Amino acid sequence: MIAKKVLLVGNFGVGKTSLIRRFVLNEFSEDYISTIGVRVSKKVVEYQNETIKLMIWDVAGTNGDEKIPKAYFLGAHAAMFVFDVSREETYLNIDQNLQMVKDLSGLEKITIVGNKKDLLSKEELETVVKEVSIGIDLITSAKEGSNVEDAFMKLTAQTLK
Amino acid sequence: MIPAKIEDVFVQITTDFSGIIKTIDAGNFVKKEFEVNQLIYTTCPFLEGTLEAIEKNQSFLLEGMVIASDNNEFNVDIEIFKNDDNIVILIHNRTNVYKYVDQLNQNRNDIFFIKREIVKKNKELDRLRKIADKANEEKSRFLAIMSHEIRNPLNSILGYAEMISSEKLSKNVAQYIKNLSSAGKNLKVIVDDILDLSRIEAGKLALVSEEVSINEIIKNCENDFQHQQKNNGVSLVFKVTENVPKIVLGDTVRIYQILSNLISNAIKFTEKGSVTTKVDVISEDDKTVSIQFTVADSGRGMSKEQTQKIFEEYQQNKISDNRIKGGAGLGLAIVNRLINAMNGNISVESKLDFGTTFFVKIPFLKPIKNKKFCSEQETKKTIINLKDRKILVADDDVLNLTIVQHFLTKEKAKITLVKDGLEALSKIKKEHFDVILLDIYMPNLTGEELILKVNDFTEFNKNTPVLALTANSTEEDVKRYLEIGFSGIISKPFTSAMFLEKIASTL
Repeated sequence: MIAKKVLLVGNFGVGKTSLIRRFVLNEFSEDYISTIGVRVSKKVVEYQNETIKLMIWDVAGTNGDEKIPKAYFLGAHAAMFVFDVSREETYLNIDQNLQMVKDLSGLEKITIVGNKKDLLSKEELETVVKEVSIGIDLITSAKEGSNVEDAFMKLTAQTLK
Repeated sequence: MIPAKIEDVFVQITTDFSGIIKTIDAGNFVKKEFEVNQLIYTTCPFLEGTLEAIEKNQSFLLEGMVIASDNNEFNVDIEIFKNDDNIVILIHNRTNVYKYVDQLNQNRNDIFFIKREIVKKNKELDRLRKIADKANEEKSRFLAIMSHEIRNPLNSILGYAEMISSEKLSKNVAQYIKNLSSAGKNLKVIVDDILDLSRIEAGKLALVSEEVSINEIIKNCENDFQHQQKNNGVSLVFKVTENVPKIVLGDTVRIYQILSNLISNAIKFTEKGSVTTKVDVISEDDKTVSIQFTVADSGRGMSKEQTQKIFEEYQQNKISDNRIKGGAGLGLAIVNRLINAMNGNISVESKLDFGTTFFVKIPFLKPIKNKKFCSEQETKKTIINLKDRKILVADDDVLNLTIVQHFLTKEKAKITLVKDGLEALSKIKKEHFDVILLDIYMPNLTGEELILKVNDFTEFNKNTPVLALTANSTEEDVKRYLEIGFSGIISKPFTSAMFLEKIASTL
């Protein structure tokens, strides 16, 4: 079994912890408790006949332009940038924020996930997709469990590239 | 030797390159979670993958990591040093520090989300306010239209009542006509009140600041009410103390409206005794003077509960009041709002069966000295002489046309009557008139459209005054009519005196 270190980054309150909880424990809580520092969760996944132990780093949410400590990215195999589809400020400067993560991590490709799709209508979601200046990999809902598994599988695939 | 307390806040461990603990070197912090020859990753999962990636002979710091022991979570900072033989890991317990950071972080984020919720709610409130404003505007528009529709027939009622009263009548018929006239006038007051209230609500009430003679206003009240008051059991008393300035700056029409409303109410509810109107100065300096108007009656009075509601709209103290005494219960609500608009205040003291006293305090500015005020006595009174004057009247309402014809015929004016704007235009193009009176809503060509054809007037009627004969009497309407070229407005319903005086003033 191979171990892969992956990180979830993005503004505070976008639902990084909720995505991990849904993926690892299949649980969801409406309470918002901000994450301090780094919490690491583990989940073993099967991907293309490979058993992989994902070490998922839940990095505390930033205020947009706050820098994430570079040390966190040491040895990282993939990273997911999470934004909240219902909060414009979490994707308004996604270009710069993504570049910052790439520079710090040295990773070429970052998985882009828009979370909280349950808060918007189909039409509103389409507008958000048009507004976000870069390609979104998946639109998820940690609350409803929608696309969460797929998002982490996409992230797992990224660790093997 | 390291003191015991310090030993409790850290632990130093040495591992090999694959993360197997070789020695526990110092410190007691969560020491039992670590065992020699076991993987350090069990307690420190974040080190898996990290240890391999760390470069040799360089110190490395990981801040704010979380480890668990005995069902408790601890925030730790970790210093790592990888040398040629092994890796030294120093784990510092920073839970106390991070506890405060955590709290601050949570508060910051909570404030952010509350702020966001407030912005969302404010947007919703703004949307609802706009809907309410629009509904209010619609209501005002509806009232203006209805008022116009009521004023037109009212003009016929009052006009014909006046015409009939000038004929030879039996005593009974004369009384009936008087009653009819009185009911019509009451209806006019109600229409005016409703319009005033909607204008105040829409924030469209504009007070003028002109030279006002309080003495003149009181004299006018005295003349009007002595004339109207027929109950000999009630005496009307008017007193203005000597120190009340001759001239202040204010809105004569609205001050008169306030006082006449209070006095007429007092008369309405007093069967015997007196109604006393008093004016006093309550304070004064170089620039301002605060004046108190008191209207006291010896009428039926009110209970405490009634006085508390007296300034609310559509308020009548007895359900039967609006039937017996007339009115829509808007007068005091309007008075209250007018006084507020003047930065003044109104209060009431009352005792059941003893009477009621209203106190109105209004601060006035004093006029700049040396500015001569033209009192009414000095103003030249308009002399009405319309004999042989050529007057064109255009109105599609035959009843109104007949009333106007009656008034003007009595003055021996030479009248030309037409039933729409096109006919009027045709006359204007062919001959000269001394005055032109135009209804606003006429078929074929409205009064507004006609006045805009000012170029067609040039040959015969270049300087002829044109008056609008209209039931649209809001301030905005009047302003607009003057702007588009009317010389003045005769507002329906009108009495013959009002009508003739207005025409004479333009000649």
